[in-house]
Amino acid sequence: MSNLKKKLVNGEFVVTAELTPPKGPEINQMIDKLKELKPLVDAVNFTDNPSGKMRMCSLAACKISLDLGFEPVLQMTCRDRNRIGIQSDLLGAHALGIRNLLLMTGDHPILGDQKEAKPVYDIDSSILIRLINNLNNGLDINGNRLNGKTEFFYGGVVNPNAEPLIPQLKRFEQKLKMGAEFFQTQMIFEIEKLEKFMDYAQRFNTKVIAGVVIIRSKKMLHYLNSKVPGVSVPKWLIDKIEGFNDEDVEKFGIDFTAKLILNIMEKKICHGIHLMAFSKVEEVKNLLNYIKI
Amino acid sequence: MIVSNRKDLKEIEKYIENLDKFFLIGCSECATLCGTGNEEAILNLKQWLEDNHKKVTGWMIAKTGCQILGTKRELSQYKEAIEQAQCIMVLSCGAGTQTITELFEEKPVIPLNDTLFIGNMRRFREFEERCRACGECFLAITGVCVVTLCPKSMLNGPCGGYKEGRCEVNPLRKCAWIIAYETLEKRGLMEKFYENILGPKDWSKANSPRQLKASTGYSKSKTEDPKEK
Ligand code: SF4
Ligand code: SF4
Repeated sequence: MSNLKKKLVNGEFVVTAELTPPKGPEINQMIDKLKELKPLVDAVNFTDNPSGKMRMCSLAACKISLDLGFEPVLQMTCRDRNRIGIQSDLLGAHALGIRNLLLMTGDHPILGDQKEAKPVYDIDSSILIRLINNLNNGLDINGNRLNGKTEFFYGGVVNPNAEPLIPQLKRFEQKLKMGAEFFQTQMIFEIEKLEKFMDYAQRFNTKVIAGVVIIRSKKMLHYLNSKVPGVSVPKWLIDKIEGFNDEDVEKFGIDFTAKLILNIMEKKICHGIHLMAFSKVEEVKNLLNYIKI
Repeated sequence: MIVSNRKDLKEIEKYIENLDKFFLIGCSECATLCGTGNEEAILNLKQWLEDNHKKVTGWMIAKTGCQILGTKRELSQYKEAIEQAQCIMVLSCGAGTQTITELFEEKPVIPLNDTLFIGNMRRFREFEERCRACGECFLAITGVCVVTLCPKSMLNGPCGGYKEGRCEVNPLRKCAWIIAYETLEKRGLMEKFYENILGPKDWSKANSPRQLKASTGYSKSKTEDPKEK
């Protein structure tokens, strides 16, 4: 059983962080970050060409992480591979020792740096989740018998900020039915939205990890708001930050996220947090020191 | 209908550099609705060619350009004009152009249009893609074609990328799945929809090239699985 699964099942609060594999063959920087992150978080998610921007594959990054003795979460999207490629990559990942999966449909290539690419989307995330369920039962997507069973711990994503929300809730339920064992949310800025979602989610007895982001600059906030699918930064937050100078934004960013996390922990809203879209391990350190997990 | 758009003149110029005499063929169906294969389009092309010191030996508009035998019959009366031409230009979709290719193997046949998609006309000459010819129509379930209108062809509900109901790929458009939801709700089918999962889709039904011998009867063939034969 993966450590992440063990902790979640035991009701311990988990902390995960996100790393984007490098744009290029050079991996030393990623390794440095990983070493620094190791004592801080329970697992690290490796993104799968986020926003359709071409990067090293998350599978290789996960293997590098495993070699350093650090548990990875493999993020897998449906954007770039058909069902054959997906199953084949997943069996490979399993053979290399990767056990945690986070499954999603994936941002459209038109948003990335290879806009001319043919999007695949042979299946969507609900079907992908059922596919893993099959693999864990020793079957491929068509029900053909495999020579063994995989032992994946697998989750889906959900966006509590979505408007309208009901289609997201329905999707969440559907992914649960397909077998998703945990969920990770899109980045949260307003605790009320997370609470509203969790009110609904709680009746299903599943584990939810809340996505949070450390605001670093005005530019970053604007980028998230306008360029990242599914992310809407509330207007009051943008307005508030507008008045700060750069240094104050950084301080405010750590403070804001720390309060959000403390709130989540105190009220026991979710079962963990996931730190998204950061570039400095220093920030994660500051943040986690601040809340002293 | 099949929506087509006139190619850029620069591209057409490349194809006709060393040719002087042309026969032009339009189509009275989709290409006429699109304004890419009607009389006006043909006469404009004729004018442009003549301005470029080329000769047009004749022109005609096929009733249905993709209908091979009918078009062949219609063309028989233009035999001479076609013989004089070094090249045939077709103002239709790609299917119509290939009718002509099949009928005149020895002459270059040049498409004047790019074939874009299967769509509907909302206002005069404003077209929207509506069907990808996926080979297995789900409209009874979803009301709008999510295979076409959702850029990710999602079959089971929206991705997490929409904002205020707008699609992540093109924020000017409503998320196809929000429309489908509204449809499911209005029809009272929402709960039923979620009892099952749609897919994985059988994309082998969309593998090209496809062929069909159509039947019009409903009595027997309706429930027969062609694979079992
Ligand atoms: S479901 Fe398939 S056949 Fe039906 S409208 Fe959509 S693409 Fe066309
Ligand atoms: S926002 Fe809606 S229409 Fe756009 S890709 Fe996502 S599900 Fe499809």
